Amino acid sequence: MGDAIVGVVANPLSGRDIRRLVTQASVFPTAEKANMIQRMLTAFGAVGVHRALLSTDLGGISAAVYRACSRHRDSDARWPEVEFLDGRPIRQTAQDTVDAVRRMVIAGARVIVCLGGDGTARVAASAAGQVPLLALSTGTNNVFPAVREATVAGLAAGLVATGAVPAEGATRQAKLLEVRAGDRTETALVDVAVSSERHVGARAVWDPATVSQLFCAFAEPDAIGLSSVLGQLAPVSRQDPCGVTARLAAAAPRQVLAPVAPGLVVPVGVGEIEPMHPGSVHAIDARAGVIAVDGERELTFGPADQPAVRLRADGPRCLDVPAVLAASARLGLLTTIHQPPGGAHDRHG
Amino acid sequence: MTDTVERKALTKEHLLGVYRVMRTIREFEERVHAEFATGDIPGFVHLYAGEEASAVGVCSNLDERDTIASTHRGHGHCIAKGVDTGEMMAEIYGRRTGSCHGKGGSMHIADLSKGMLGANGIVGGGPPLICGTALAAKIKGTGGVSVAFFGDGASNQGTTLESMNLASVWNLPAIFVAENNGYAESTASTWSVSSDNIADRAAGFGMPGVIVDGFDFFAVHEAASEAIARARGGGGPTLLEMKFTRYFGHFEGDQQTYRAGEVEHARAELDCLKRFAARVTETGELAQADLDAVDAEIAVLIEGDVAAAKAAPLPTEADLLTDVYVRY
Repeated sequence: MGDAIVGVVANPLSGRDIRRLVTQASVFPTAEKANMIQRMLTAFGAVGVHRALLSTDLGGISAAVYRACSRHRDSDARWPEVEFLDGRPIRQTAQDTVDAVRRMVIAGARVIVCLGGDGTARVAASAAGQVPLLALSTGTNNVFPAVREATVAGLAAGLVATGAVPAEGATRQAKLLEVRAGDRTETALVDVAVSSERHVGARAVWDPATVSQLFCAFAEPDAIGLSSVLGQLAPVSRQDPCGVTARLAAAAPRQVLAPVAPGLVVPVGVGEIEPMHPGSVHAIDARAGVIAVDGERELTFGPADQPAVRLRADGPRCLDVPAVLAASARLGLLTTIHQPPGGAHDRHG
Repeated sequence: MTDTVERKALTKEHLLGVYRVMRTIREFEERVHAEFATGDIPGFVHLYAGEEASAVGVCSNLDERDTIASTHRGHGHCIAKGVDTGEMMAEIYGRRTGSCHGKGGSMHIADLSKGMLGANGIVGGGPPLICGTALAAKIKGTGGVSVAFFGDGASNQGTTLESMNLASVWNLPAIFVAENNGYAESTASTWSVSSDNIADRAAGFGMPGVIVDGFDFFAVHEAASEAIARARGGGGPTLLEMKFTRYFGHFEGDQQTYRAGEVEHARAELDCLKRFAARVTETGELAQADLDAVDAEIAVLIEGDVAAAKAAPLPTEADLLTDVYVRY
């Protein structure tokens, strides 16, 4: 099984945007991202992953892991062979994540782990194809990626990469929102928000008064971010084939108190709510503005662009960590029973 | 409802204004680059071209109550805070008509009447200054905010780190703008800055730290407006880290053997003026003709500044001891 390969891509910039300033969003230190990767390498090694492909960055994550790899040679815990994908050029943009994930797919990665927030997961998903994706939270608005201990996530990724747990039963296909504006297309894993802002600017959306329309692939009552608004009014689970959309207006009679960003709980006026059926196209009402995908302003549009949003069923294949470890429990994959040396005679000896 | 700033859309006048200032800095620096090569400019010059969105994105949120401290790469900050380009050019040429009467040169251009505390030859020299002016603003209750621009090299200096600590302890209306252009002279920040992101250091001082695309005027303006409003409202200091590339060497004459290809890529793909023009024309906020008119106007302005500077008198022996002592 020399092809038990896992890819790990980490966004050095996640958890650094303006929400540190306008709210009290957490800072996720570079050192902790590097620590998470090391904890995962330990888990990979423990379950027999042969090779780990790691993204490189100028933010210090890959440098820290590289130093750790050279120190680790003397340790007892077996790490897989680590290969750094020497991305050139490193642009320090989302394209670095796309390039790294593409190279991991080509190199035969059986699972791709992505460290970042919703934005990073969105970008990684766009390049992962049908390779199972495991998104771990190191960002700000974390609806899609899970907040989960990296060691446990690493075990799950490793068990699927080695084939010990078949990917079929351990993954679920996520939904996807596709936005078209003129000849440009973007995707979102959680929500698409139409903002009256004119520019992409500092990217994050934290003032719901600027949002006129909201589209959610899923809306959970306990989410953070804009999808939490519909999570309170018309919850939609990740497994539900449909999504949900609503028009927002500050003066609407129905107001929902929602955690629209970490540290920001505000009333949001909600008008008409409609389900989104897979494949159906929903037009954006505004003539001009900015479209935010998964909480980040990404596309500006004008009257000629006629933007629209469509719910697709063919999102990324997401690794279900609890399902993998439940399967390993059922199959006894992490259990070994040692026979006492010498058998019964020794036991009495 | 929220503790964030009620952001007003930038009007056409505002947009034209900020474009004019960014274009002025670019034209000024490109011209100094050309003129320095002729050998007529004494001393050293460190050019700001490529970084305009930082100075203008920040300073377009400031007013006459506010002060800024700059660096050895200070022309852009001076222009963005309203220092006269004619006086600046004369100062660079060492002329008596310069903003410091020709005695300071490029690295010491200052104009206290504009709240510009000075370019500064000392790396990390600016942050302590703004702790002083921010403390004064706080005690006097002027509502003024102080901004220190500094580079990735200065982010490792004790003066900068001590100032961030002091600003946080005293809850000063101070903004620390780390202009991370990737190199401290010729040393890569990826090698020399232990935390890699300068913004990460904010956590250690108990202030927000934010990374900003320094090529994007709108991103800088938005982040700076929030930080400045927070400081004015008594919320304390903020660290903003601009990530971008300088278009010229550390100083004029730098052979730049430590980098290759970055500048060409940045000029072609990331340039703040190009991106600004593309955005505002795409949204219909400004027409290309508006921008072209500004470009033509600025070309004439800088041409006049250079001609006037070259024709201006040098300081005389009698000027040697003027401006040296201050009477309190």
